[in-house]
Amino acid sequence: MKTGTLIVTLLASGLLAWGVTDVREARAVERAEAEETARLLAKLMRAGRLVIDQNQTMIDDPHKGDKGFTPDVFEQQLIVEFRKETAIDLRTLAATPSSILIPPLAKELLPAFVLASKEVVREAQVVINQRGIGYKNFIPATYGSQAARRFTGQSHVRLKQTTLKPRNPKNEPDDYEASVLKWLSGRPNAQAYVSELTDKGRTLRVVMPIYYVKDCLKCHGEPKGEQDISGYPKEGAREGDLAGAITVTVPLNVGNR
Amino acid sequence: MNRRDSGVGGVNAAPRWALLCVALAWLSLQGCGLVYDALQYVAPAATDELDAICRLQRVHVGMAVEPFRPFVFPAIWTDEGSRITGLDVELVRHIVDALSQQCGRPVTPVLHLVRFRDLFLQLSEGKLDLFVSAVPSNVPAPAWAGFAYSIPYFQHGGLAGITRRPDVSDRIRQRLQPPSEGVPGAQAGAQVLDGLAVAVQDGTASQHYAAANLKSSRIVRCDSLPAAFESAEAVVDQGIDVILGARPVLEYMVTRVKKEWQLITQADGKPFFLTSAQYAVVMSEGSYRLRWFVNGVIFRLDESGQLERMRARWMDESYAFPRRAAAEGLPFDVEKMVVHYSQGACRADRAR
Repeated sequence: MKTGTLIVTLLASGLLAWGVTDVREARAVERAEAEETARLLAKLMRAGRLVIDQNQTMIDDPHKGDKGFTPDVFEQQLIVEFRKETAIDLRTLAATPSSILIPPLAKELLPAFVLASKEVVREAQVVINQRGIGYKNFIPATYGSQAARRFTGQSHVRLKQTTLKPRNPKNEPDDYEASVLKWLSGRPNAQAYVSELTDKGRTLRVVMPIYYVKDCLKCHGEPKGEQDISGYPKEGAREGDLAGAITVTVPLNVGNR
Repeated sequence: MNRRDSGVGGVNAAPRWALLCVALAWLSLQGCGLVYDALQYVAPAATDELDAICRLQRVHVGMAVEPFRPFVFPAIWTDEGSRITGLDVELVRHIVDALSQQCGRPVTPVLHLVRFRDLFLQLSEGKLDLFVSAVPSNVPAPAWAGFAYSIPYFQHGGLAGITRRPDVSDRIRQRLQPPSEGVPGAQAGAQVLDGLAVAVQDGTASQHYAAANLKSSRIVRCDSLPAAFESAEAVVDQGIDVILGARPVLEYMVTRVKKEWQLITQADGKPFFLTSAQYAVVMSEGSYRLRWFVNGVIFRLDESGQLERMRARWMDESYAFPRRAAAEGLPFDVEKMVVHYSQGACRADRAR
């Protein structure tokens, strides 16, 4: 081999190796960012559910008409709950420099989920503010279903609430979700989450567990099988049991172009 | 200056311009006719209300925002958004399905949730094609005249009363006993409520009945049935002795929701009715084709036994309405629902 050819070959190999490394690195970075974004989205949805839960008694108060639970009030409480959970302040998110903890994708999607949630609260005002009507079925699960649907419709990221025995058939877990839920249900309540690449590495899926808190047990607790206020049989759950999970599916771009 | 000159100079040209304009207008009219004919061919103009529904693929249906369980339950939030359910909603689904079949394309129901008393007004203003909310077809009241009622979809209506006070219940039962020595004689219908405070819902059959027949009762007019319950439960001594209303609605309430209340019965335990009524779909008087159509739907539902199954499903079965709302409820137009529905309040009828 001539010296010139050797140099060219070495140079090309070097460039290729550098390129491959670059793509691998980019993939790894994208996955890490997507994973963190998915976790933050799941936590935001969980915070939204918690806000509804905290206001449940007021929402179901038949003696009160206008509850004052406006989209803005919801947003303020959501921001507080989310900050407690993540130490991220959504009000200053735009001005916060991007990092692996607050990826650019999260900066784009978290406000979008807040908007979707506010839309749900706005649309539910006519139901929430009925005076003389007690239970209105505006509960964490029905809020979550609608917020997830609206958010998914407006972004390329899919949010879903799921559980092993869902009351809403649309929340039925797929095989993967079912296996994760079974695995999680045998483990103690933790901040664990499960993440995997699917669709030949083109999609990242994060499954984040939700656990029952005391307020959930009015409808999901004991005695098992007894009809709750919404007409579904109670699950007989106890505080801290696995309630289900939030699945976030994020399409990945690098390496697929 | 130049302009005026040119204007003056243009005087001679005016008749020519006028002629040209007339000619153009004439040509346009011809053209308009042709265009109109062409449009008619492609999309024929509605000739009646049924055609209009098909053309717009929408039917505007009014329903009471006040709950008339189990005919209309309160609006509720579900996984699918806000929904309304009940026997009347199921009937609307059947009518809409039949309309879709008739029109050959899907027809969407646009539900207007308004106060019961405003349903008649909205229908007369042309905002609704029809409405349905446990409306009796035989109430002799001026406000209910001038409308068309379908054949009945529910037979066992009629006015009845409920009370939560045993002394009131006994008093009425005593008045209803057959005449015998030493016992007060049976009194005809409304008179058994003489001297009692009777709550009725504004604009409903109960209010019209009270206005026409309860001359010696103290009438309390309420905005809704829940308001009557709230008012009666808030003041025990001088409040409401009896709530008058649609028997199937009251029966549902006292057996499932307000169990401390009882239906007023005769001495032998048989139900005490003040009137008999059948519930119908209400339409404009001139909606002849729509009426034929709705009558046909109800007739077929009745003939097939579906109406009876619907009645049993909503009246007899044990169920929780939120679950049914999620599975089969209809969405409603939030813009067309009264803002911040309130059950309202009760007040003494000062007109008496």
